[in-house]
Amino acid sequence: MLQTFRQSMAWLHTWFGLVLGFVLMAVFFFGSLSVFDREIDRWALPETRFEPQPMPSYDNLLADVFPNMEAEEEELDAARKRIGGELPAQLQPVGWGAYTTHRDPVLDVFTEYSVPNPADPFDHVHGHLTLDPRNGTVLPHDRLKIGSEFFYPLHYSLHIQWQQLGTWIVGVAALIMLVALVSGVIIHRRLFRELFTFRPGKRTQRSSLDLHNLTGVVALPFHFIFALSGLTIFAFLYLPVGETVLTTPAQAHLMEEAVSRGLPFEPAGEPAPIASVDAMVMEAKKRWAERGMPGEVGFLWVTHPGDRNSFVSLFRAGSDRVAFVGQGVHFDAVSGRVLYEEPPPSVVAGINEFLTGLHLQHFEHWPLRWLYVLGGLLGCTCIATGFIFFTEKRKRNLKDAALVRRVDALAVTAVTGMVVAAGTILVANRLLPVALPHRGTWEEVVFWLAWLLAFAHAIWRGRAVPGSLSPAWREQCWAIALLAVTAVVLNWITTGDHLLKTLITERYWPVAGLDLALLASAAIAIRVAFLLRGRERATAFVDSQGSRALEVVRG
Amino acid sequence: MVESLLLALGVASGFIGMGWLALSMSQHWQQVRDTSLPPAKLLRALAAVALLTSLFLCLWVDHPSIAVLVWVMVISASAFLVAMLLAWRPRWLKPLVSWAH
Repeated sequence: MLQTFRQSMAWLHTWFGLVLGFVLMAVFFFGSLSVFDREIDRWALPETRFEPQPMPSYDNLLADVFPNMEAEEEELDAARKRIGGELPAQLQPVGWGAYTTHRDPVLDVFTEYSVPNPADPFDHVHGHLTLDPRNGTVLPHDRLKIGSEFFYPLHYSLHIQWQQLGTWIVGVAALIMLVALVSGVIIHRRLFRELFTFRPGKRTQRSSLDLHNLTGVVALPFHFIFALSGLTIFAFLYLPVGETVLTTPAQAHLMEEAVSRGLPFEPAGEPAPIASVDAMVMEAKKRWAERGMPGEVGFLWVTHPGDRNSFVSLFRAGSDRVAFVGQGVHFDAVSGRVLYEEPPPSVVAGINEFLTGLHLQHFEHWPLRWLYVLGGLLGCTCIATGFIFFTEKRKRNLKDAALVRRVDALAVTAVTGMVVAAGTILVANRLLPVALPHRGTWEEVVFWLAWLLAFAHAIWRGRAVPGSLSPAWREQCWAIALLAVTAVVLNWITTGDHLLKTLITERYWPVAGLDLALLASAAIAIRVAFLLRGRERATAFVDSQGSRALEVVRG
Repeated sequence: MVESLLLALGVASGFIGMGWLALSMSQHWQQVRDTSLPPAKLLRALAAVALLTSLFLCLWVDHPSIAVLVWVMVISASAFLVAMLLAWRPRWLKPLVSWAH
């Protein structure tokens, strides 16, 4: 059956692409939304709609926050299970940290505590808070940051936490994505000659293949480098050599590295106060300026806080380059003197930082951000047209009818259904009462229910007519338009931030940008719904003419 | 301000470069310019110059690590835009080659 290399590549591309295409669709779409995750957070959390803030003063603000933080209840429960008993009332902190970028009005602070576990001397749990860096006010824990805490993790983990299965599925999908790109290039007969070819006037099967090839090839570098860098970011999970196979050498290496840098690896066990961290920040900034790269602190980390061996690490925010932090300077926390200033990264470390940074994009470059969104949406188009080509090609073959209906229903769910779910969570975010306990969880529940409903609708409305898509596509386009406009109106009603205000009188791009994107999505969805309606009518007309002609022939 | 202007020029020359590259192919040339054959070699050479100019401008404006990403994405976006114009509004690309015989 598969006589030639090209045919076997086509088989690989078709079936692997089909199965993992549904996962990749979610990865691409929510990845595109994650480019503006912080801005979506601002829309979803009206109390955080203010300008981005620099790292706040440690001495005046963070010094009071960290000692009062606690580990997450869920992590403590898991730790109790690991050690099979109760934990001490007060856990020893291992580290305190804060991270910010040029797009963050609120600050993420996090802590790590050691767990006394004889089986694992490095066992630890984490704490986490979001605060207003202007005054230290803590944001309630049950507020969901829809961008950075829901869409973004959905993009790489599908929110399947059990055994990190979701991240594994996405990893396999990324690998298959690389396979699909290579096999796609092999089976494409006229890669360069048809680089710019899209013939919308041809029948659906041909024009969908045109668009599939076009969006796959023009954005090939984007698709390739993002699948690859996605895999390298999670390499520690997929190939955990350092942590599982080589635990002892890896720990020895870390200790050796710390010692070579003059940084204490273990706490001394004697308490000691922390000197002025603000003075250390001044010193680090002076050193960065001397190296010709003045900047702000992006990442602050205190190791062994409160111990005589404590040290403070300050990393420069990489707003102006791809690697997101760097140029670390480490200080003795007690004396405040510099222990170690990191040299420029080695070539391998530099490549790794580049791949991670280009994917996670903490840099300050708005045009590039939008180009990434375009790249992601081209990927979505490529996958969606792949589904449509798959079904169109098989619609004339009656024995494939059941397969076609199933694939089409899944395609509707993965394409329009996903946008419906994303629109629904925004509407839910504006409608659920502010005082509702576990409000964030409810928003997530509504999102998954909406997606499930879209799936049920796609199955119910599915049919296999050549050249005509299932009416579910058109109906879900209307749902998208309705939800998008509703979200914009609800944002206006519940917060008073309408577009005239966010665009003109009190310009605030994060909210204006999302509102405009929602309106644009609504406009596109309505246009597509009308086009699909026209197509359905034309097909219905041709069909009725065809059956009449058939009757004439049969006499 | 100057940087935004240079970046805009970089984007424009990337788009023009991809436009010339597309029009160097006879099927696209004929969508824009009736029947004759395109001056293919000349258009490809011009395309190469325009794309290199675009890269140069991107490198001028940003740190090289960012500039490379901007340039690659500008080329992708331009190729897509050129293809869409050829599909729906081919005549809009005519100004790119109105000087040619």
